[in-house]
Amino acid sequence: MSDVIFSNQLTEQEKYGHFLKRIEAGEKIEADDWMPDEYRFTLIKLISMHGISEIMGALPEKEWVPKAPSLKRKLGIMAKVQDEMGHGQLLLRVAEDLMKPLGKTREDIMEDLFSGRLKFHNVFHMEAPTWGDAGLIGWLVDGAAIISQTNMLNASYGPYARALKRICAEEVFHAQHGEAIIMALAEGTNEQRTMVQEAVNRWWEALLMFFGPADASTTGTSKQDITIKYRIRTKTNEELRQDFFSKYIPRVLSLGLTLPDETMHFDKEKEVWVYKQPDWNRFKEIIKNNGPKSKDRLELRKTAYIENQWVREALNMAK
Amino acid sequence: MSSEGFYQEFEVFSKRSDTAPLQYQFSLLAPNSELALIMAQENFMRREPVSDIWVVKRSDIRKMNCEEKQSLQRLDNKDYRNTKGYGYLKKKWRHYEQGMLDEKEILSWGEEKKRENG
Repeated sequence: MSDVIFSNQLTEQEKYGHFLKRIEAGEKIEADDWMPDEYRFTLIKLISMHGISEIMGALPEKEWVPKAPSLKRKLGIMAKVQDEMGHGQLLLRVAEDLMKPLGKTREDIMEDLFSGRLKFHNVFHMEAPTWGDAGLIGWLVDGAAIISQTNMLNASYGPYARALKRICAEEVFHAQHGEAIIMALAEGTNEQRTMVQEAVNRWWEALLMFFGPADASTTGTSKQDITIKYRIRTKTNEELRQDFFSKYIPRVLSLGLTLPDETMHFDKEKEVWVYKQPDWNRFKEIIKNNGPKSKDRLELRKTAYIENQWVREALNMAK
Repeated sequence: MSSEGFYQEFEVFSKRSDTAPLQYQFSLLAPNSELALIMAQENFMRREPVSDIWVVKRSDIRKMNCEEKQSLQRLDNKDYRNTKGYGYLKKKWRHYEQGMLDEKEILSWGEEKKRENG
């Protein structure tokens, strides 16, 4: 067929043009397809960070498995923790296939995590001291994750889009699991209501930070323009944060809870939520592994990795 | 010792029910096919019904490359291969005061027979 394009006959510039045409036509790019380095490196950074955050994100929640208030709640939170580890596995596979031509593997991802080169999401550096925090993570942290992940369901990179489709379906369960915990506490005793309110106060700044700074002027770098250019996502960090406000603020307030930001309101004319900016310098410190629980959780992950080394070695030989 | 052998790539396929076609799920890393099978169930089958799981080592799969995939595009002149190319018969049969035995009608015969027997 005359219109078949043989990539080995094209210049780099022609390949790039063909690549852009494909993503503009809504075609999906697959792991073995030609892609510009900028696209590959952006995806590796985004997806390895997303994957490792799922795994690190299971750690604050798993603290609540032995302490869950009933058997039903224990089963629910165990299922959620297992899902998060499963999401991590899916996403690491996607990242690993992209890293393969660079000669990098899962072990490199783990090494990068331990050395601090690979960052994990700001929310998972925080403490979860009460059952209210366990519920709030499911309700609002997973809620925020759903907002940012559904924005990438049509990502130009096929394997990521397919992984997200599976992940988002399970996130719906996570959000409802969190809602169920919060609802029970919000309708409970004064002590229980206080527990939820304190969790909201504790998590509010981390939730604002969740979507990242509005532009590069805040933290020096921002990948959002590149991810939008390559059709990995469509909305900016600020648009996603505003979507989160629109979906969740009315629900938070309807339960009689308050937000720890007296300036927060919806500007009807401009159709935006006005809010107090979080401390972005603190954000930079947190993701540099200087958050309240960064070191503990990295240590836990590292210990598990080292202590299970013998299992990997034994099974390696048992082939 | 390198742990290269611990992280081998497997592709996972499964069937939702006995009559469903095999469907691609995702890939995973495992040291051998036995563990790949266990991990496939844990990773991908935590909720949905499943009646069978296959795992295949990725290195045993011959996939199409980008150029080969482009050659899969069909020319739009295959009406003679489909019922669409014979749709005019409906009008013809009407002329003979007969209904057309179309796909829907023909594929319903199995059920009809059962009803007659029952």
